[in-house]
Amino acid sequence: MILSTIVFLPLLFALIVAVWPNAKTLRPLAMGFAVIEFIVSLALFQQFDPNTANLQMVERYMWIERFGISYFFGIDGISLWLVLLTTFLTPIIVLASWTSVTERIKGFHVCLFILQTAMLGTFLAMDAIFFYIFWELALIPMYFMIGIWGGSRRIYATVKLFIYTFAGSVMMLVAMIYMMYLTQETTGQMSASLLDFYKLKIPFIGGTFFSLQTLLFFAFALAFAIKVPVFPLHTWLPDAHVEAPTPGSVILAGVMLKMGTYGFMRWVIPLFPEASEYWSWLFMLIGTVGIIYGALVAMVQPDVKKLVAYSSVSHMGYILLGLFAFNSYGMNGGLYQMLNHGISTGALFILIGMIYERTHSREITKYGGLAGVLPLFTIFFFIITLSSIAVPMTNGFVGEFFILMGTFQAQPVFAYFAVTGVVLGAVYMLWMFKRVFFGEQGELVKDEHHPLHDLNAREIAVLVPLVLMVFWMGLFPNNFLNYSKASVDHLVHNKNSYNLTINQPGAPAATAATATTTAPVTEQTTAAAQGDK
Amino acid sequence: MNMNIGLSDILLVSPMIALFLASLVPITAKVLRGNREQNPIITLCQALGGIVVAVGLLVVFGGAGKTAFNNGLIFDGVTQWMGVIALLSAGAAMIMMYENPATKGRQFSELIFLAMSSAVGMLILVSAVDLLMVFIGLEMMSLALYLMIAMSHEEKLSKEAALKYFILGSFASALFLYGVAFIFGTTGNTNILSFMENAADLIQTSRLFLFGMVFVVLGFCFKVSIAPFHAWTPDVYQGAPTPHTAFMATAVKTVSFAAFLRVIATRSLVGSEHLFDMLQWLAVITMIVGNTAAILQNNLKRMLAYSSIAHSGYILVGVITAGVSDDAAFGASGVIFYLLSYGLMTLGAFAIASMLEKSENHIVDVDDLAGLAKQRPMIALCLTVFLLSLTGIPPTLGFFGKFYLFNAAIGEGLMWLAIWGMISSVISVYYYLRPIVVMYMKEGQADVAEHSLNATTVTVVVMAIAILFLGFVSGPLFTAVEKSLL
Repeated sequence: MILSTIVFLPLLFALIVAVWPNAKTLRPLAMGFAVIEFIVSLALFQQFDPNTANLQMVERYMWIERFGISYFFGIDGISLWLVLLTTFLTPIIVLASWTSVTERIKGFHVCLFILQTAMLGTFLAMDAIFFYIFWELALIPMYFMIGIWGGSRRIYATVKLFIYTFAGSVMMLVAMIYMMYLTQETTGQMSASLLDFYKLKIPFIGGTFFSLQTLLFFAFALAFAIKVPVFPLHTWLPDAHVEAPTPGSVILAGVMLKMGTYGFMRWVIPLFPEASEYWSWLFMLIGTVGIIYGALVAMVQPDVKKLVAYSSVSHMGYILLGLFAFNSYGMNGGLYQMLNHGISTGALFILIGMIYERTHSREITKYGGLAGVLPLFTIFFFIITLSSIAVPMTNGFVGEFFILMGTFQAQPVFAYFAVTGVVLGAVYMLWMFKRVFFGEQGELVKDEHHPLHDLNAREIAVLVPLVLMVFWMGLFPNNFLNYSKASVDHLVHNKNSYNLTINQPGAPAATAATATTTAPVTEQTTAAAQGDK
Repeated sequence: MNMNIGLSDILLVSPMIALFLASLVPITAKVLRGNREQNPIITLCQALGGIVVAVGLLVVFGGAGKTAFNNGLIFDGVTQWMGVIALLSAGAAMIMMYENPATKGRQFSELIFLAMSSAVGMLILVSAVDLLMVFIGLEMMSLALYLMIAMSHEEKLSKEAALKYFILGSFASALFLYGVAFIFGTTGNTNILSFMENAADLIQTSRLFLFGMVFVVLGFCFKVSIAPFHAWTPDVYQGAPTPHTAFMATAVKTVSFAAFLRVIATRSLVGSEHLFDMLQWLAVITMIVGNTAAILQNNLKRMLAYSSIAHSGYILVGVITAGVSDDAAFGASGVIFYLLSYGLMTLGAFAIASMLEKSENHIVDVDDLAGLAKQRPMIALCLTVFLLSLTGIPPTLGFFGKFYLFNAAIGEGLMWLAIWGMISSVISVYYYLRPIVVMYMKEGQADVAEHSLNATTVTVVVMAIAILFLGFVSGPLFTAVEKSLL
């Protein structure tokens, strides 16, 4: 029951918040709920077995029997950390929205909790249609969040976000239905279960676009690529980020973009292995282009939030590169980078939100010399900047290092180009840092009518957990990677015959063999990462 | 032809009889009171009572493919489901009529009588398997509607709408009848059941039969507003009083599709590649035309009218599927399920449009919704649910409707129709989101007629809850529909 509890508890919270009569106690209530949810999600560790790649804590009930659609939750090493990332960020978001969201507070928290349910459901659903429902449901609260609490061009941004993502996912739905009929053809029983989808052997012909596996591959990949977003489908992202309120940006960058990369790991690569391998050059290419393009565009942004938004395009390019490298380094790095990006970019958006609340401007040129006025803020910003540009000992380093290792192994050419992204990343972040925090004091900083105050206790409380995560993940990556190792290695080594079995509590793990054979590789991987530091 | 009418025939048509008798009550009362209106709420209760009884009789006596009146009428799953959907939609529309300023009060008894008569025609239409019976049902339903629209008190638009609807409706009927004549000429019969088995062969061998079939199909295309025969729809839907529009968009469409389905289910599509292709193209064109034209509309009712054209396109995909599938119940149950969800969400949307009308000649634009979310959050939330459901966003019922419909199409190999359906759903996002944007994200003072709790509000809330709830139990519901068709 634990997975259902984790997914639907926020929905219950949303209902309670919706009918809560007292406006004053609304925020503490929401904060309490978000913390409760996080604590409940920690219970996953109690039951999670990191030594197996099997699907764990499965809950499965037939839902729409006629078409083999089931209520089907399961967790493995790939989804575990994404679930925790979601539950970890939510209390931080509630706390960060304390002063930035001042209107329609109730509606905001209702949206937030519905969104949390949708995101958690996306990560845990193991049935195609069930997954699709959560996937699309996530759009609605996000749409309202940007549309109601966003900036001046919020309506344009929110409609664009909605149409882009909806347009991407409808083809996925068609492909899903088609695959349900494929299961009926092969097994005689229609099923929408992901586990049955994995068993399908879908014909693939290299060199042509018109083979069944390629078509289905692109139908799925388009949906996920728009969500990620990869270049050139990324144009909704800067708009959405700039117009979104701080909490919206944090969720968008922290979790929602991961829904896309998670989709690649969970659906695209294992379901269409030959097509993924064949077309990997395309995705590595657009990943690399995204890295460099995102970095170059970020460099010239006058708006600091837009800069971070484009840096997201760049960072997500790394994740794509890692995933399509198809080796242990790449995949592990990709997964790790998803978490890193959630923490670092989330934190950056929160920091930008804090300074925006004080000055109501995000223009880089209007700042300058902030370090002298807001020392504490500067320290936090600096730490997060270092993490974002992947300085060793921070979380960002581990992820990017793995990804680049993996890419060198798989396709060195792309790695040569991708490495320049690391340099460019340092350039735009440090340059921005210099212009905002050092040099002559800008008009906003000097403004005597509105003296700037340094961080208060609440804001420090928001940032401390994020900074702790930055170092924890940077110094002890094995604490995290150990949980996902078995699942990721299973994906890497059995890509062409990927199969998930349901873990029976007490029974010996069915894929223990694969886990042990691949163990040396991962140990080597993680050892290499630590040795390099 | 000798005809024996027995008790079973009478029992089978008892819903129609009940409905007809109930329709007489209000006008009889009016006549007996010396031509003075009785309290409209009593009239409404009499009408709703008649509908409840008719629904009950339809459920109890119908079903299992029984035929009545020498195979003129059939009572199977399609009759039951479509009949119930149509009657309930009619009931909801009558509640709206009671409260809408354009239809309220004056001549309410006559209005209810006409609406009920139209509903009797609908019941004939859903159960008719003889093409002449279909014609009678169509005409009975339509004639009452022409009158209903014409007698509304709105100044110009409704008269124009009535005339347009009358002329084009008659044109459609004429086309239909012309087709029936050809079919009669080739088969010597107008009963669908009699040529059902060999329709596929007939259509291949006989040009005249094909000709007849095409005209019959075109007649239906007019009635259910398939592009390019849709041109009357926006004008009539906009011009008619909103409750009437709701009635036309849901009940009339449902029963017309029921009859359409019966004609197509003769497997004549399997016989004629051309007819099959033509219908597929019509479906695609309808989806595209409806959705793109709706984007341009600022008038709420007109937008909903175009959206209902688009939905006709989706439903036509299901009808085609039913026509070519070996398992006719498969596509047909998708159609019925879709009509059920479509009925709920369209009625809901029109009901809210009706609530926003303060006076008879008040035209509600999308921009008038500004600020509704602050003034009446419940209504705004309900409208949001209806619009998201019309778009087909999960977990609403509209998503499951589209899912079952396109699922059947994909299962039948009509992949490209499903893809077109999906593409046009994406287009539809644009205009379905606009009212939501305006309600929640723009400042303004929405003009809402009454602030007290009234029957329309209750109906709207019930429908919104149904749309959210029925999605979760859509599996058993779909299975129930499918089983009843076997």
